[in-house]
Amino acid sequence: MKPGETNITITLSKVFKRFDEVTALEDINVVFEAGTLTTLLGPSGCGKTTLLRIVSGLETVSGGEILFGNENVTDLSATRRDVGMVFQSYALFPHMTVEQNVGYGLGVLKTPQEKIKEQVKVVLDMVNLAGYQARYPDELSGGQQQRVAVARALILEPKVLLFDEPLSNIDSKLRRSMREEIRHLQKSTGITSIYVTHDQSEALAVSDEVVVMKDGRILQKGPPRSLYHRPESAFVANFIGESNVVEALLVNGTDGNRVELGGIELALPDSMHIPAKPGMVKLSLRPEVIHIEAKSDDKDPDCLAGIVTESAYMGPVIEYSVKTAIGDLFTRGPAYETQHLKGEQVRVRVRPDEIIVIPASSE
Amino acid sequence: MSTTAKVVSESFKPALIIPWVTIGIIAYFCLPWLALEYGLTDATFDEFVDALAWRKNGATIVVPFFFLMFLIAPRLVRSGIQCGWLYTCLSAFFILATFAYFITENLSMGLGTAVILLAFSALFAIGIAEIGFQRGDRFIAGSVIFVILLVCVFIFFPIWTIFQTLLYNSDGSFAPFQFYQIVTAFGVGRVILNTLLLAMSVGAATTLFGLIFALYSTRATSPLRYVIRVFYILPIITPPFVVGMALILLFGRAGMINDGLMFLFGPEGILLQGAFTRSGYIYGFWGIFLAQTLSLTPIAYMVLNGMLATINPAMEEAALTMRAGRWETLRDVTLPLLRPGIANAFLLCMISSAADFGNPLVLGGDYDVLSTEIYFSIAGAQLDFAKASALGVLLLVLSLSVFVIQKKWVGQKSYVTVTGVQTAGNVIPLPGRLQKILSAFVLVWLLLVGILYFSIFLGGFVKQWGADYTLTIAHHKELWLGGFASGAWPSFINSLIFAFIAAPITALIGILIAYIISRKKFFGKGIIDFGTVLIFAIPGTVTGVAYILAFNTPPVELTGTAAILIITMAIRAMPVGIRGGMSALSQISESLEEASVLQRAGSLKTIRSVLIPLIRSTIVSSTAYSFIRSMTTVSAVIFLATAGTNVATTYILSRVESGDTGIAVAYGSILILTMLLFTLAVEVITGRSRVEKQVKTI
Repeated sequence: MKPGETNITITLSKVFKRFDEVTALEDINVVFEAGTLTTLLGPSGCGKTTLLRIVSGLETVSGGEILFGNENVTDLSATRRDVGMVFQSYALFPHMTVEQNVGYGLGVLKTPQEKIKEQVKVVLDMVNLAGYQARYPDELSGGQQQRVAVARALILEPKVLLFDEPLSNIDSKLRRSMREEIRHLQKSTGITSIYVTHDQSEALAVSDEVVVMKDGRILQKGPPRSLYHRPESAFVANFIGESNVVEALLVNGTDGNRVELGGIELALPDSMHIPAKPGMVKLSLRPEVIHIEAKSDDKDPDCLAGIVTESAYMGPVIEYSVKTAIGDLFTRGPAYETQHLKGEQVRVRVRPDEIIVIPASSE
Repeated sequence: MSTTAKVVSESFKPALIIPWVTIGIIAYFCLPWLALEYGLTDATFDEFVDALAWRKNGATIVVPFFFLMFLIAPRLVRSGIQCGWLYTCLSAFFILATFAYFITENLSMGLGTAVILLAFSALFAIGIAEIGFQRGDRFIAGSVIFVILLVCVFIFFPIWTIFQTLLYNSDGSFAPFQFYQIVTAFGVGRVILNTLLLAMSVGAATTLFGLIFALYSTRATSPLRYVIRVFYILPIITPPFVVGMALILLFGRAGMINDGLMFLFGPEGILLQGAFTRSGYIYGFWGIFLAQTLSLTPIAYMVLNGMLATINPAMEEAALTMRAGRWETLRDVTLPLLRPGIANAFLLCMISSAADFGNPLVLGGDYDVLSTEIYFSIAGAQLDFAKASALGVLLLVLSLSVFVIQKKWVGQKSYVTVTGVQTAGNVIPLPGRLQKILSAFVLVWLLLVGILYFSIFLGGFVKQWGADYTLTIAHHKELWLGGFASGAWPSFINSLIFAFIAAPITALIGILIAYIISRKKFFGKGIIDFGTVLIFAIPGTVTGVAYILAFNTPPVELTGTAAILIITMAIRAMPVGIRGGMSALSQISESLEEASVLQRAGSLKTIRSVLIPLIRSTIVSSTAYSFIRSMTTVSAVIFLATAGTNVATTYILSRVESGDTGIAVAYGSILILTMLLFTLAVEVITGRSRVEKQVKTI
């Protein structure tokens, strides 16, 4: 498999899907760029798996078109679409050995036996499972089964690779290394890939682009960094990373933009992109922009007053919940500092240059 | 759309149709176009040749040209879709034209026509698959068409003829009130009431006893519980009326109990003279009730036992931790959780009781129920088909409505969530006193069953039950030692051959239906769903009447042939295959099939390489069970068996009717023994294969 040889763009336009009366997907228009790995991220029931299955051909659309490159594949069955898929449950055939599982598709295509053996060996090497040919799936660990599933999806050199929550059945320590392996394989093969997950940190770590979905719609699509720093809605701000969404008054003064919240004023840097008009707006405050410090007598005009309502020691950090005039704020402090205890009066400082203004039009 | 059409036509190969065209043309030239008067095997060569299609002048000459058109068609059109439309229209036209031909000419179809029609159905399936049905999956399209045809010809059409018989007079004029006239002409109300009363009593009794057995086998601590776990196979291997016969041996006028009471209390009794006279108390409601309760309780037991096994022990343990005793736990937790199972068992046994034919026939006396009334309106020289149809409709409606209630209402309700997570925990044993009472009950029951079966075997070895208990092998000698052309052999061999052919067909078609129902969505699926409901709900006697009416006249004339018996056996045992397929498929994650499909495998390859290896044991057990059912069935085949196609059960019943009880039980006992050995052999084989699989995967 040479990089770049198979990569194609996947385009979905005006795709929607209804199950009986229930609308699972609504007006999906999205382009998955050639050679990239895109994650579909969202809470359960948001339609991300349905969207993946529609791309695979296992599910039909109720309307709209799917293009692989320039080819319209909307009416093609899964067998003819040339996609590889890694299932959440791996879906390894329990009555076949690793070699038979991985070589199954080549057998379907009537490849000679020696050729199958050879190619199976190549892909098993790729997923670091050399020598496991004769094992049965239930003789393998979860991680090894996962690799077999990946090898099977790769062996036919598909145009598109699909991952349906591939790491959800793996314990958390292994998950990190598996996710890196998948990323590495995808990069080295250059196959356009779509990856479904509900784990936002997995999505951020593994993808070129992230598509956030909710209630059958796409809310936002972009590289991980832009989703984290420029969420276009409170939902995305909350779903990608952690966020305190608060209300504030945006003022466009002579000296630049300011926000007023809870009786304090914070000047926003001139360089900041403000996607809203002056007036009441929603702000997203990440935990890392909120700092709490012990209350002292001298009043600081830039600080909010607060009371610690929860204080939990987590090892490297301490997690706090602080009650303030603008609502309960969630934040973290380094563990080497003295822990603020529950009930303690504190000062809350917000770093203005990291404030995110959420676009007015969003939900 | 243009790209799609291109791709479809690329994948389309004319070679696909060649096998079907070849089969059709061979059938046209070599197989009879018209039905043979004496059946295929008994026809003379001249008769055979005369029935061939190409010997007929006129219309049949077009058949080969039709097939040729299929070969030319791909060259006339531009895309696969157009070709698909052409195939679909051509084959649909031919099929309809053939039926029209046979109906208007009043001729009966021969085997060749059946094969030709099958070939055209396959071409039809290829056509609609090419248009886009089932997303171009020819195998599934073909299976769907095949199943729909099957359901239409062997379920809908026969049932329709029952209604037709009711709607039209014997002279063919429309008679909308005939049904009303028939059912009001005699005491039909009493018959319906009898049937319902019996069904409800049997339903209640079997459910209660089934519950006792289920609780006992899962919750008792006594070793007796292991005995229960094997007793459920007895009724499966016993022809339904044999329990009735055994009851006669025990409780009948000349039965052991009567003899015993006569000995003690009769006119010359040793205890109290003249206090007792012989009576036929067993004939009538209580006799049928007892026989059906004995033979149906294991069904209730299986339903409830399955339900009990899925109850999470943690729930009962939770009750115990909240200070509830074992009694309270049983009353407040276990039994309420079993409620859907109890309703299920009750309704299932009710249907089985209403549909049962053998026991009421043997034990009924004056107590007439729908199933026997149907038989008596036709049997002998009655041949009152209108009355049989009317009663058949009543019985069908009764069992169909109970079945629908069971399926829609009870079947949906289940408190059990199957998560696949094994929860640790021990089942709570029964309260001590309850266990003692139940032990006594179970012991009495097993004793009764033991005596019943013993008397069947003994009955075959005594001269004249009730009068002369001298041991003899005369009955068995008459049955088995008179050569293969006399005694029991012809019917026994018939049974074996028919069941042997029917069983694999049943298992495969049943599993195919289960696959289509559980895995596929398509336009027209409702037909298959409804057909399946009818297959499950239709009582055997109704099938018998319907088949006589439907297949005794052109265009499909099958009565008197072995084929009709094989088909009947296959349809009667079909629920076994469907149920087996359903439960096996529900164990297999759909993503396995999807994974195969994404590896470019078509559905045929997927089924062959992925599904069949995983459900192999289900296929074996379904085939075995279908074989047993076909061997022991009586209700439908009794209408269709003739002198030449007598089977074991109908032969036994005919000997019962002519009073040869000794012969009948001798034959019955051998039949039971054969089935028992067969069941054990299957257990051993499938048991070993399971071990093999374990060894392989460890």
